[in-house]
Amino acid sequence: MSQHILEWLPAYHDGELSAGRRQQVEKHLLTCPDCSAELQAIEDLSALLKAEHSPRLTSPERFAAQVQLRLPHSSPQEIHPGGKVLPRWVLGAPLALLIGWAFLQAALIVTAIILNAVQVFGLQNQLWPNWVGAESLIEAVGSLFALNLGLLVLTAGLWSVWLAFWWVWNRSQNLEIGTDRI
Amino acid sequence: MHDRDLIACAQQGDRQAFSELVMRHQNSIISMLYHMCGDARLAEDAAQEAFVRVWQNLQRYQDQHAFRSWLYRIAANAALDSLRRERPAVDLDSLPISDPDTGPEQTAEANQRALQVRQAIAHLSPPLRMVLVLREYQELAYQEIAEALDIPVGTVMSRLNSARSQLRQELLSLPEEA
Repeated sequence: MSQHILEWLPAYHDGELSAGRRQQVEKHLLTCPDCSAELQAIEDLSALLKAEHSPRLTSPERFAAQVQLRLPHSSPQEIHPGGKVLPRWVLGAPLALLIGWAFLQAALIVTAIILNAVQVFGLQNQLWPNWVGAESLIEAVGSLFALNLGLLVLTAGLWSVWLAFWWVWNRSQNLEIGTDRI
Repeated sequence: MHDRDLIACAQQGDRQAFSELVMRHQNSIISMLYHMCGDARLAEDAAQEAFVRVWQNLQRYQDQHAFRSWLYRIAANAALDSLRRERPAVDLDSLPISDPDTGPEQTAEANQRALQVRQAIAHLSPPLRMVLVLREYQELAYQEIAEALDIPVGTVMSRLNSARSQLRQELLSLPEEA
């Protein structure tokens, strides 16, 4: 007899197994009385629990009216103005911008290294015989590098300030970002 | 009207839309709380409290989360708070009254069994009870339970296994596997 599959039986009973695993369990159950008995016990327990009836409930209309009586006068917007959790774009947009700036910065660094190497080793005439503007190109790359570095720092700085502001504001409202204990 | 539309209206302060949401979900929430608390009066009270919290926090609800899971999470917290405040009484009112189709002996036996089940569930720790109730009575998928209780799916499975094991020992008197 193959190895028992007791650990899969609860998930099998609950319909939580993948199709492949379910077939594996069903095949095993055909030949294994121990696992079949265990599954039967799980099913018996479930049937016993479900046999317990639900209580007699107040009618939905009456219950809804009772809830209305307990609601505060303020609307949800007045209770938590702008109380949404952090929207995804607030995290995503600046992050995408930072990644873009960083990629551009890396490309500029590589370009500067290549151009410097070409100049140091005097290869520009061999590589580009008709081209005389290497120095001005290096200067342009340097300026772009400085500009991009500024943008990178500015974006990161503004984003950090915005996140810090959001966090402090949420704490002051006794809210939490993401999941919560309500 | 879809739940999403009702939520959007309720977020703007539309109490009628909120009442419609309450009526749609009250049965499942009270049923869950009843099995959690074992007391119909306490369950209805906790359900009302849960819906008040839903109203108060509706602005924080995120569309990408299932409303049902969010609602169950709030109801679960309301149940835990209720149980901390008040000890549930044995709820004789909610036991089945004598059915003309069955004899008094069978009714008494059914009542006895219902009490045993309720007591066995009450003996479980709240985290185990919560997972069991959401699975057995509300028939939520493991992933939904995980979302509702904010725990990993693996924890759902282990808690469910522990809860079933304990109940089997108490109700079915079956020997446990090594």
